[in-house]
Formats: sequence, structure tokens, C-alpha cells
Amino acid sequence: MSGRILRYTIILFFGAAAAIPFLWLLSTSLKGAEEIFAFPPSFIPDTLNTGNYTGVWESISFGVYTLNSIIVVSVTVLLNLLLASLAGFALARLNFPGKSIFFLLVLAAMMIPKEIIIIPLYSTVLALGLDDTLAGVILPFAVEGFSIFLMRQAFLQIPKEIEEAAIMDGCSLLTLWYRVMLPMTKPAIGTLVIFTFIGTWGDFIWPLVVLKNSENYTLQVGLSYMTGTFVNNYRYVAAGSVLALIPVLVVFLTMQKQFRRGVFAGTGK
Amino acid sequence: MNNKAPAYLFLFPAFLFLGMFALLPMAQIAYYSFFEDNLIIPKVFVGLENYAELVSDRNFWSVLLNSFIYLLVTPVLIIISLTLAIAVREETRLNNFFRTLYFLPVITPLVIAGIMWRWIFTEDTGLLNYLLSLLGIGKVSWLSESPQNMFSVMILTVWRGFGYYMMIFLAGLALVSRELEEAAELDGASRLQKVFHIILPQLKPSITLVFVISSASALKIFTELYIMIPGSPMANKTLVYYLFTEAFERFNFGYSSAAGVLLFILTLGFSYANVKISSGAAKE
Repeated sequence: MSGRILRYTIILFFGAAAAIPFLWLLSTSLKGAEEIFAFPPSFIPDTLNTGNYTGVWESISFGVYTLNSIIVVSVTVLLNLLLASLAGFALARLNFPGKSIFFLLVLAAMMIPKEIIIIPLYSTVLALGLDDTLAGVILPFAVEGFSIFLMRQAFLQIPKEIEEAAIMDGCSLLTLWYRVMLPMTKPAIGTLVIFTFIGTWGDFIWPLVVLKNSENYTLQVGLSYMTGTFVNNYRYVAAGSVLALIPVLVVFLTMQKQFRRGVFAGTGK
Repeated sequence: MNNKAPAYLFLFPAFLFLGMFALLPMAQIAYYSFFEDNLIIPKVFVGLENYAELVSDRNFWSVLLNSFIYLLVTPVLIIISLTLAIAVREETRLNNFFRTLYFLPVITPLVIAGIMWRWIFTEDTGLLNYLLSLLGIGKVSWLSESPQNMFSVMILTVWRGFGYYMMIFLAGLALVSRELEEAAELDGASRLQKVFHIILPQLKPSITLVFVISSASALKIFTELYIMIPGSPMANKTLVYYLFTEAFERFNFGYSSAAGVLLFILTLGFSYANVKISSGAAKE
């Protein structure tokens, strides 16, 4: 019996620990100007102040940041999907000299932390003339080792018979890849989309380096910039943060199953 | 299937990007680290000078020490996430709800998570100091004084990580043999005995994995500091922060590359040691 109480205490304690920062953010985003600095702080705002939401939207280029983030995320996701499914297909289904070396390179790329190579990445972006552009933010993340790895595993699992039947029907390689096999990797595609979406949406250090002009900021860079300029306006930052959280929450909650599968794929299980 | 030419066509686009933006840059930082390079004047070969300068910089040693101190989050994360994985192991509706809840911090962008926690830790109006004042504890300078500010950043790391590692442990738990557990129950083993003698030994691969992932990411902490304690002195920062400042505020690209090389070696060394130690322990 006491074991059960202990178990629920632990579950609830960490549940509260996980939830409270979100609730606090939400509450801050709905507070009025004076209430923000009230001590003791109040959990539930006196009046629901939706003005912070319209305020953040109007007073800074929040809409522009959002649009930039949407562009960066959708192009990055599409490129990862395209490039990783092409390479994953070749690594899983085709035979050619150097195949194992290519696969090793994928694994090596997975192990290189972006934080460490940020300087040469930046000088490449400079050399390509892409400094301070969204393309400069996107291209270094156009395909990640993890995406190729994930797609390779998915293509490996398709039975040999399907491939043979398609070849008998006179299918070209491109048709085999696109029409026959790609639709069969849907779960992996789902995983790839969510992982890339959430990773790119939250990415900070790289866009911070590349983007200079505030008109080019992504949401995360914009939010961090706001915490600098709006030091006294917690309410706007809070409202902006809530807005920037909505897309990840929606994507995660609707596609949880694929997400969990991805965590396991990342662990080799 | 044997189709050499098309195979390379399938691989080409992906490997072009992978080469340009992952493999080549890694080789480049090793190369840059032997040069004095600030992007403006032509770079000059300086041999090991960057490394020599690095080890004689007092700030370098303090950020290195801090990076090691941040590794303290690893055992904390393992204990919490393992405990929770065992607690919500059965697939009930309630447990699934909590699994989802624990995972929400994981998907929260780091910038937003940092902002959220900064407000909780704020000294005058923060939530934490208010809760502590209810217990009769005076105001703590969670963000402005060392070492509390490092502790605050660690809390953020733990908050944002435990749900992820719990998922890895749940995947590991799914492979734990039920028969062994049932046999132990029949023999009258207590719950704790079951955990320590049946479950933990079988979870060793997952524990190693979590050790490797969480220590590698603890060594790379940057955004957390940038958002939560931006004004604090370099002595409170970590290796990646140092590398970043040297590169993008002082434009010492060569010097910063040397720091990057050391960080890479450190990360690899750590992962290797973790795997070695745990596989050695498994043999005993």
C-alpha cells in the first residue's frame, strides 16, 4: 500500500514539475501591467488580458518572424524528406561499390555536433553569399545523418518480393523508389517530419549566427531579441512564447505515436 | 539490385550536403585550429600556438571546469527518468497521460524553456522565491550569483531532459523478461529487490545509452546559458559558450576552432569511456 502511495507521489510531483512552467507562462501572458510585478505573485490573472497577444503581434515584427520560421521549417522538412529518402533507398536496396563506406559516413555525420562545426559552417555560408538569408539558415540542415539513417532502416524493412514484382513489371528505379516503395515508408516519413519540424522550429544558435537584420529573424531569435529589448515587458514575451509553442504542441499531440517510434529509432531499438 | 550509376545519382544530392555541411567542416576545424584567422586579414599558420594560448587562458580552465560540473545532471537525469519509467510502465490511460505530460518539456524550444525558467528563478518576483518564502526561506539569488546560477541552469536541463530519457528507458523496459520477474515474485522478492536484481541488470544497455547521450549533450550546453544568465561573467559559462564568444564576438576563428577540436575529443572520449566502463561492468 505504501509503495502505491509513494509511486503516485512521484508521478504527481514530476507531473506538476513538468506542467507548472507552462501554466506560469500562460498566466503571465494573460496578466495586466501591474500584476506582473505583484508580490506575492498570482497564479490566476485578475482579468484575462488578451491585449498582450494583440500587442506582441502589432508592436514588433512578430508576424514576420512567424512567416520566416514557417519558411525555414517547411523547406528544411521537405529537403530532408527528399534527400534522405533518395539516399536511404540507395543504401538499403541497391548494390554498388563503396556502399558500406557511404553508410559509415552517414553514421559519422550523425556524431558530429553542429555546435562544434559552427565556424566552418558559417564561413561556407559567407563564401556562398548566403549570410543573413533564410537560405543560409536552411541549407546546412537540408539533410541530416539521422534522416538518412531513419529512411534507410525503413527501406530495409520492405520485403524483397515487392521489389522483384515491380522489376518484373518493367518498373524503372525511379518509379520503384517513388511509386512503389516510398508510400510503404509512411511511418518513418511521419517520424522524420516531426523530428525535423520540432528540431528546426526550436533551433536557435545557428539562425542567431546567420541572421543579422531583424526582418530575417526566425521566431526563436526574435523571442530572444525581445527578451533583450522588452526587458520590462514580460507580458509580450510571454504571449509571444505561447504563440510560438502552439505549432510544436499541435504537431506533437496529433502525431505522438510516430514521435515515440522516432525516439526508439534513435536508440537503435 | 545491381545498378551502379543510378545508385550514385540517388546518393549524390544527400552526400553533397552532408559533405559540405558536416564532414568537411569537421575536417576544417581541425585545420583552422593551426591558423590565426579572423576572416579579415589572410590567415597565418601558427602551429600549436592556439592550443598553447588556450591552456594558458584562465577562462578556458574555468569554462572547462563548468562543463564538467554540468555533467552532474547526468546521474540526476538517470535516476529521475528511470524511476518514472518504472512508475508509468504499465500502459494504463493515466500512465499514458503522464508520459505525454513528461514529454512536453522535451519538445519545448530551448529559448522558450529558458524564458519560462528565468521567470521562475527571478529574484524579486519569481515563483520559486515566493514558494520558498512560504516556507520561511529568504530570497535566493538564483540567477545573479554563482554557484546558484549554474544550479538553476541544471534544473532547466533536467526539466527538459527527463521525459526523453524516460522514453528510452520505457523502450528498454519493454524488452525486460516478464517471466524472470514473475518467477522472482513467486519467490517472494520485494518490489525493490525486483528492481535492483531483475530490472536494472537487464536495462544496462539503456543506461549506457542514456549516459552517453546525456553527458554528450551536457558538455554542449549553450542556449540555456545564453537565455537564462546572459549577463554573468565568463567564469560561469561553459566550453561551447566560450567557443561561441571567441568566434562571433572576438572573431578569433582559429583560436575558437582549437577549442572546438578539444570539445570534440572530449565528447568522443566521454562516450567511449562510458561504453567501456559499462561493458566492463556488464562482464563482471
